[in-house]
Amino acid sequence: MANIQKRCLAEFIGTFFLVFMGAGAAAITLMITKGTALPNTFNIGIGALGGLGDWLAIGLAFGLAIAASIYALGNVSGCHINPAVTIGLWSVKKFPGRDVVPYIVSQLAGASVASLLFAAVVGMNAVTVGGLGATAPFPTIGYLQALVAETVGTFLLMLAIMGVAVDKRATPGFAGIVIGLTVAGIITTLGNISGSSLNPARTFGPYLGDTLLGGTNLWIYLPIYIIGPILGAVLAALAYQYMTKED
Amino acid sequence: MKCYICAKEGKDTEAVAICIVCGMGLCMDHVIREDVTLWEGGYPFPSEKVKKTLPRILCPECYAALEGG
Repeated sequence: MANIQKRCLAEFIGTFFLVFMGAGAAAITLMITKGTALPNTFNIGIGALGGLGDWLAIGLAFGLAIAASIYALGNVSGCHINPAVTIGLWSVKKFPGRDVVPYIVSQLAGASVASLLFAAVVGMNAVTVGGLGATAPFPTIGYLQALVAETVGTFLLMLAIMGVAVDKRATPGFAGIVIGLTVAGIITTLGNISGSSLNPARTFGPYLGDTLLGGTNLWIYLPIYIIGPILGAVLAALAYQYMTKED
Repeated sequence: MKCYICAKEGKDTEAVAICIVCGMGLCMDHVIREDVTLWEGGYPFPSEKVKKTLPRILCPECYAALEGG
């Protein structure tokens, strides 16, 4: 097994690409739709051009970056690239406790650097218009509603990870593409509800970038994207373990 | 079974092993034993090298192909 430094570097790189490509796609969509007449107050720009197709495109940007990272880095670190997944695996004793904090720190660092580099590449409109793809509850969606949406979405993501990758009976080689498409599907539905983060690091990076670069302050919403994903991942891991335990 | 390579050279040598790839009988002079490294794990767990290697008996031609020579 690679040492902890190499595994943390892999987590940093994987989370970097997840945020740069995925959250970047959300920011670019907002920049493209700026000035477009919005169909209703539930819409903030994403979906103005292609309805749920806009969200599917963003979901695929996330999903394909995740799939590429899993195939490239899965053997090095396990490619969790998500603190909720790391904690979910730890909760069912599939991941050592001593590695949890280094993994999460690496994921947060990768996400933060990705947001700052994205702003540097695209320019300040990525911050002022695109918000660096930061997540927040959409109009008419309450704090608790968004939290439940994040819990449900991450439950499905973790359930897929358990069934497609953790379970020894799973067919080898499919995890990357299945996990990537699962994320794309979840984002298509939950995107216009909670932003569909499913990942505390994915929200933390753009929040930090927005704060450092003078964008909107959204920190009040951070607990949604910490509690929801971690709760969903832990519940899914425990549920899968219970359902597959031999009687 | 006789060694295929020795037989082609006109010698009559008893084979002691068979190439796992082509099935050629091989004497001690022509047999090549290669230890293949095994890994377990992978997403969402880091891969780990298995302590024991997997022994492979190969003829010189298949060994060269395996090594890309």
